[in-house]
Amino acid sequence: MIGEGEPKGWRQPELWAKALPSVALQTLFFLAPLLMTVLLTFQETRSFMLQWAWSLKTWSDIFSRPHYWTILWHTLWMSALCVALCVLISLPVAYALATRLQSMSGHVKVLITFAFLTDATLKTFGWVLFLDQKGAANFLLERIGFPPAMIGFLYTDWATLLGMVYNLLAFTIFTIYLSIANIDRSLILAAYDAGASKWRAFWEVTLPLSRPGIWTGSVLVFLLSVGVFLEPKVLGGGKSPMSAELIRQTFETRVNWPLGAALTIVLMVTAVFVILLFNRVYSLRRHGAAA
Amino acid sequence: MSKTWYGDLPKYYQRQIAALGLDEAGMTRRRLMKSAAAAAGVAAFGGSIGHARAATQMQYMCWEGYNDARIIDPFNQANDTDISFDLIVDSPGGFAKLQAGASREVDLVSSDMPWVTRMGPAGLALELNPDDYADVYATFYDQFKPPFEPLLHDGKTIGVATRWGWVGACINTDVSKEEDWKSYDPVFDAKNKDKICVMDWGDWPILPMALHAGINPYEELDDAALEEVRKVLRAMFKNTRTLVADLTQAQKGLLDGSLLGCIGAGSYLTSAVRKQGHKNIIARVPDPRNGLKQGIIWVEATAIVKETDQPELAQKLLKHVVSKESGHILSLLDTTCNVVTNKGVEQLYSDEEKSILEVDYMWHAYDNSEMHRIAPNIDDMLAIWQEELAAAQ
Repeated sequence: MIGEGEPKGWRQPELWAKALPSVALQTLFFLAPLLMTVLLTFQETRSFMLQWAWSLKTWSDIFSRPHYWTILWHTLWMSALCVALCVLISLPVAYALATRLQSMSGHVKVLITFAFLTDATLKTFGWVLFLDQKGAANFLLERIGFPPAMIGFLYTDWATLLGMVYNLLAFTIFTIYLSIANIDRSLILAAYDAGASKWRAFWEVTLPLSRPGIWTGSVLVFLLSVGVFLEPKVLGGGKSPMSAELIRQTFETRVNWPLGAALTIVLMVTAVFVILLFNRVYSLRRHGAAA
Repeated sequence: MSKTWYGDLPKYYQRQIAALGLDEAGMTRRRLMKSAAAAAGVAAFGGSIGHARAATQMQYMCWEGYNDARIIDPFNQANDTDISFDLIVDSPGGFAKLQAGASREVDLVSSDMPWVTRMGPAGLALELNPDDYADVYATFYDQFKPPFEPLLHDGKTIGVATRWGWVGACINTDVSKEEDWKSYDPVFDAKNKDKICVMDWGDWPILPMALHAGINPYEELDDAALEEVRKVLRAMFKNTRTLVADLTQAQKGLLDGSLLGCIGAGSYLTSAVRKQGHKNIIARVPDPRNGLKQGIIWVEATAIVKETDQPELAQKLLKHVVSKESGHILSLLDTTCNVVTNKGVEQLYSDEEKSILEVDYMWHAYDNSEMHRIAPNIDDMLAIWQEELAAAQ
């Protein structure tokens, strides 16, 4: 038995036994499908049928055609904007829930949760009905004297962004809320005692201490953003496809599984790389601040 | 020594199967899967529902509509079958699923004709003997009787045509004149910027635009021809307001006038709206241009899966699906209304139903359209579509 305080090493069979179920599950349901996906990228298709012949054709196709990278760049850009907007909107909401609206926070959280749990397809099509040229928003504006079809940003990237932020906002609200709610109130009071203004106390104490929540929420929103396909298709009008839609088209419409698998790998690797990069920057800045 | 159906299982299970006598029972993987599915179904309902167990389980991969209870229930009752459905939302996806192994469970497939035809070279379809279907073909319009070339592979019949319609420009006559759509020119007219809807349905919007550019997409295309396709798609995207994959979104846009015309669809899109009384929504095939017909006839076909363990019942079901009674139901669904290949169904239509389906127009559309079939360069054209869409951002 491994005692408290004893150094743990991989030679101890008990540790292996404890880790085995988790390792087995990860291998079976994550690593094995991932490996299959990677292997698939080295195959070819002919007449819409998979040919089990080792080839680099798919990868040379990906690296020789710039449009895949244009769409990937567009996806990363839209995801970064979505993360920034979600954090900007969530910070005051979460701060208010944790500090100013404590008596109502239960009701507000329930409302946010209900909105979050409502089917994304329903919410997204709801926005179409609201934002359409002949939709509810333009109808109301016209009734109070504005010119017809004043809101005309449906089927643009702005509408896509609206849908993404709306559907993913709950992730940042709740993670930031948890961070702020767990801040020791005496630290903020100490800042006030030291003469800090409310803004200064927020900037110097609350914001740095809520960084874990901001970071966690940002990672969640970013990872989910790079995979969205409903919002660009329905609200964006499909004219600015993002990577997930490109992958869907490649798998379903073109029935080109090796290319679809390769595009999936490219998206996964890029998303992980971006997160690791920011994690590194975040760590360096934290260590810099500590020093 | 022949390989048994359970030969891949661990020895322990092999012994159990042998002990239970299942090795002698003509058990196949397909039957095992179906039995497991049936057992799961019984378990899910707790066995409390007093249905008598149907003798034969069947699986039907089809578009929505073919599974209508009014079509399937009489067949189940007459043949003591229990048909489950694998509904497809796009034909390539259905084909990919069959390739991925669903062919081991599915008995019958109703999908877009080119994808049914592709089942031939893919080894997924049971080749049909047209003589076995003489009674069916006797009721068909001449245009779909054998030898129906688009459904042939190496001279062998792969499937039977079921439902059809035409692809052209879908318009609202309250906001756009029918005469303006004698060609696809309004799609490229600068005054229609942000008023054109393009259906995001794979090859469907690409093919009419290729025809407009003077390229026959159903022939082998060289680089110059593909470059013309690229140019026409680039021009189309300039005026495109939205790419729509959802039928109702396009129908709504046409109805409220926010969309002037929809490209890549046709009677499949307009008919359900016409059924609701909006007779101002029509699908029109442009006049021939550059020696090429500008419309496209789409056909859905039904094929029997090669690995079916119920070839006779599958054949019976196929014949049932194309029968006059089933055809009448199939042609007037809530989601979409389309004419069928069975000529006898026309006698069952009321005047209102004929108006919904534009029966008076259908042969004009047919005569001015290319028959949809496998386009040899479709993957090149789809790649161009993706490239031009990315460039249009």
